Amino acid sequence: MTLQEIMERTGLKETGLAKAWIKDAIQLIRSQYPEKIKVDKQNIIDGEREYILPADMISLLSISVKDTTDNKYKRIRRISNDIVLKEDTEPE
Amino acid sequence: MSFDTDRNWMYTLSGRNIHLWQWVETAATDTVGSHRVKLPAEYYGKQLIYPNEDISSGLRVEYTAFSEPFVAESLEDTSSRYSASTIAFVDGGGGSDTITDTANGFDFGTTDKIRIIGSSSNDGDYQLTNSTAGTLTMATGLLTVESLGESITIYQIPKSVADASVDESSHVNLNRMLSLAVVDYIKAQMKESVGDLQGKEYCMREFWKKLGDNESNKRNVSMTFPASPFAIK
Repeated sequence: MTLQEIMERTGLKETGLAKAWIKDAIQLIRSQYPEKIKVDKQNIIDGEREYILPADMISLLSISVKDTTDNKYKRIRRISNDIVLKEDTEPE
Repeated sequence: MSFDTDRNWMYTLSGRNIHLWQWVETAATDTVGSHRVKLPAEYYGKQLIYPNEDISSGLRVEYTAFSEPFVAESLEDTSSRYSASTIAFVDGGGGSDTITDTANGFDFGTTDKIRIIGSSSNDGDYQLTNSTAGTLTMATGLLTVESLGESITIYQIPKSVADASVDESSHVNLNRMLSLAVVDYIKAQMKESVGDLQGKEYCMREFWKKLGDNESNKRNVSMTFPASPFAIK
């Protein structure tokens, strides 16, 4: 459906406002349903625990780690308990 | 070497960061010659440790993203698709790269955007510069040489439109049902802006209803009930 058709159906005259509201609606849709799924891959580094979530992420679906024995990515679990270690000034 | 990663790896979330942990049941070890031996005096037991090896592209994050809200053509019009094991990839060097099909089965538009799946090293999205039944042409430096043999699928995807170039002829990157939901969302915003909260609530209900319908359209649920022996049919 074109932007023009949406504006005609709603009676909205301002194109800029229509674009902004359409983006809001898409954001809302994608936060609730996995309509457009993306995958981000990062290198795992020996001794490094911190990795960055993708900047354009709306909602997280899963995190997997590569099993190098069969080269398959397997979904890993989230630790629900609060980890005691908060800062490590002498990592391995 | 990582193994059984679904059982031995875990994560926590901290703000915009992922913290990776490895679950180990280990003891203090030492290496003697080429053998790793357990030291009898010390025992570490079960514990969480930092990742203890480098894994190239080892972390995979799957997420929903806000990207390409507008496209140049509607989703319903991007229906070209082709699968074959007669497809080969040619690196044109300084010239254009090409995809060839000895069965001459390509049916794409000259400037379509395509997605390739099933190849050894050329999976991804590409913008065509020309198309014939036997050859797809694109800019140089995109493809890796690959001979035919793999079962490969190529299908058309909508071309994205840069935010600054979006105009009234641009399409919303959603299917028709979700586009109708967007119409309800905009109506709700318009009603809210004039203080009609009851109207806004009605439109938002319609919006969520269409989202629900769109999801249920993907699922074919069958329900069966045991028939009572005394049921009148």
